[in-house]
Amino acid sequence: MDIGDMLERMRDPLGAPFYPPALQVLLVVTWVLHIFFVTLALGSSACSIACFLRPTDYRLRLGRVAARLTPNAVGLGIVTGIAPLLFVQTIHDPLWYASNALTGFWSVSFIFVMMGGYGLAYLFYLKGSADGKLLWSAVASFVLLFFAGWVMHVLASVSIRPERWMEWYAPNGVIDTRGVVFHSWNIPRLTFLLPLQAGLSLAVVLTLFAWYFRRIEEDAPFMQWVARQGRLIGLVVSPLYTLAGLLWAATEGVEFGIGIPLGVALTSLGLALTSYFFFLKQPMQHAPRTLLVWFASLMTVGVVREVIRAVSLERFGYRVSEYPYIIDWGSILIFGVTTIVGVAVVTYLALVLYQSGGTKRDGSVSPRVEQFGSIATGMLGAWFAFFILVGLYTTFFLK
Amino acid sequence: MYPVWEGIFIHSAMFVAIVSAFHVLVSHLTVAAAWFNLYLERRAVYENRPELYVYLKRSALGLLVFAYVFGALAGVGIWQTTTVANPRGISTLIHNFVLYWGSEWYMFLIDVVGIIAYYYTFGRVSPRTHLRLAWILALGGTGTLTLIVGILSFKLTPGLWFTTGESLNGFFNPTFWPQLLTRFFLMFTITAAWVMLIATSLPKGYFAREQIIRTAAAIGLGGLIIALGIWFLWFYPVLPDHAKTILRSPAIPPITFTVIVGGLIATFLGLLFALAMPRRQHPIIALGAMLVLFAAIFGAERTREVIRKPDIIAGYMSSNQLVFNDIPARGIQSEEEPLNETGMLGSLPFLPRPETISVGATAGLPDHQVMMGRVLVIQQCAACHSVSNQTAITIFDQRLALRSLAQLLERRKMTTAPKIEAYLQRIGAFPYMHPFVGTPEERAAMALYLEYFVQQQYAPQPQAQVRR
Repeated sequence: MDIGDMLERMRDPLGAPFYPPALQVLLVVTWVLHIFFVTLALGSSACSIACFLRPTDYRLRLGRVAARLTPNAVGLGIVTGIAPLLFVQTIHDPLWYASNALTGFWSVSFIFVMMGGYGLAYLFYLKGSADGKLLWSAVASFVLLFFAGWVMHVLASVSIRPERWMEWYAPNGVIDTRGVVFHSWNIPRLTFLLPLQAGLSLAVVLTLFAWYFRRIEEDAPFMQWVARQGRLIGLVVSPLYTLAGLLWAATEGVEFGIGIPLGVALTSLGLALTSYFFFLKQPMQHAPRTLLVWFASLMTVGVVREVIRAVSLERFGYRVSEYPYIIDWGSILIFGVTTIVGVAVVTYLALVLYQSGGTKRDGSVSPRVEQFGSIATGMLGAWFAFFILVGLYTTFFLK
Repeated sequence: MYPVWEGIFIHSAMFVAIVSAFHVLVSHLTVAAAWFNLYLERRAVYENRPELYVYLKRSALGLLVFAYVFGALAGVGIWQTTTVANPRGISTLIHNFVLYWGSEWYMFLIDVVGIIAYYYTFGRVSPRTHLRLAWILALGGTGTLTLIVGILSFKLTPGLWFTTGESLNGFFNPTFWPQLLTRFFLMFTITAAWVMLIATSLPKGYFAREQIIRTAAAIGLGGLIIALGIWFLWFYPVLPDHAKTILRSPAIPPITFTVIVGGLIATFLGLLFALAMPRRQHPIIALGAMLVLFAAIFGAERTREVIRKPDIIAGYMSSNQLVFNDIPARGIQSEEEPLNETGMLGSLPFLPRPETISVGATAGLPDHQVMMGRVLVIQQCAACHSVSNQTAITIFDQRLALRSLAQLLERRKMTTAPKIEAYLQRIGAFPYMHPFVGTPEERAAMALYLEYFVQQQYAPQPQAQVRR
């Protein structure tokens, strides 16, 4: 059985419930959200540690904010990570399941490592961040969260090398069911995706933080300082990002025969970001634009990851566009309606958080947002009526 | 079809069970706690009882730190553990229900952003706005429960999906509604323990404490009684006959029922105690109640998983990860029948051809036939049984392994290859066992490996005698 036949055989016989390329788009888009929060968690964790290690008044204040941000970013990283996890299993099932099973012990350990990292981040926020006590918990949290990222990196790296799976599963003809070996990795890719993107996500969020609290006059000097730190981090990290991108292209890109296009794309991205931060003279005022620029960059990286995967699989004649599918109207109906309701409610929640936070001292929510909240909550209630109707229709008529 | 991860020290299936039980405890607690908080917050707003916010804020912090994120992590943990324990089982679910899971993800997003908004806006937004957030949390949480139960119950009763191939038929299957309602009401029992944990950790002078405990205990008792009523009058009667047979079979050890029934009785008595004497409650008692509930949930969830044995998806896919029935509506044909002709080895990915299986010094097994048998036993049996020393631990001279095949065969005096081979030939006669798949030669190789495994465990000599 050659690799192409093997991959075809491993595809689930049920096929996908919708056009696979559309699910691929959803995979990339949701991954962007996920990696933003994941890198933000790492960045804010590192920021809080650095601030408490070399304290000044401003750094201590920023360190406390970062310590509070870390566990919330981890929480959002987990939640947003579920969506790409769904789509990767649907259209890349042979890759995802094989890499997880080959690395079984670490795949299972991932969750315990995350629990440790998250728990320690909360411990530091709740019990240590007021005066910098329990700094060890922040350091240990950072190490565990980074290790969890390493595990996911290895899973991704194993998944795009199907030609080596059998050699890893049965070295010398003896199958190994322990799953304890880290079979594959690429340090430039890891450096690019995790620590450097963590720095850039942090840089962007620092400017955004300053922008959010810009109207509180007595905090203005601190906020200006925070925004400047954000720009400075961006300015320092983005050239390194360019270099790591180049190395990623020179190693993994070359391995899959796309070294030059990958090098051009990643270097251009890094240089564009360097230029952006260089010319960003008023980081606080332009923070929303900076966030958009960063999301566009992450989207580019998401596409690059997907291209590498596609090129790797193309070697064996395996294409997502040829993944078998049906149009499952039941799935689409439920998902479509829930999307409308979910987006409305999450938007309302985000608006409440935004308006009650720091832009206005009284923390009140505007009447228009209140009105929108009534509608969104009503939609959420109505979702249950819709769900029961679909259930009744299915039970009594769909036969 | 995929590499097998047996587990290390602990069997892969036990990793799934432990993580799942924790997730069920936390997620159920979360949903009902949202309803309980909504109830209290309505009273706080409409009866002008600001003291209730003290409890609500403490509860919200606990939910934010513990329940939502650890619950979510355990949810991801279920993905990871099921993926490595039985990839094709989870693949079937994902390919049928990915967009239902996508819908659940929206509800979950509402939950997590909602609890952040709920906690951080105490005192920062008007009471009415905050009450709306409480409504959103309660509805969002119930949405997640509703969507996941359809997928879970499909595994036991795919129902009309077999004939129509429609995901909706698989989702709204015969056990969907009773399972949903049983879980919904039982959640309030779990939440009662949570409420007691939070309320008893508030200062003694907090005067709403006893009232809150009493209310939670009453709701918990009511939930328990209604859930048991639904189980006996609706859920159990619609279980497939096969599941009822398994319930009464040795596939479920009696200790499981002892733990479940004991846990329910202890919970019932504990709630009565809280109702009658709310002043005497203590965080230690509440923690104890949580542990008892964890044990009972562990037993109940294991039972739910076992009653569809030997299938991972009842009537469609066995624990060996092979499709064994045709689904014409989806153009799916049984994968097992051709394998009985061609043999397993070399016919499926990750099952090497016999000649490529090595008998190197590293393997430590006596000969090539035993090595072949090991590969086949791992593929066909390792999903439910401990088939090697890798998945066993010894604590105080007590060897712990999940349904160890060595132990089972030795108990039945099937310790030689001919006896084991004959046993394998009729293994499908047990209601909880799937027939052997492959050629007679492969069955003989499996018997040789199992003989080796039994003798490794129970005979003093390090290697079994090779018979063929």
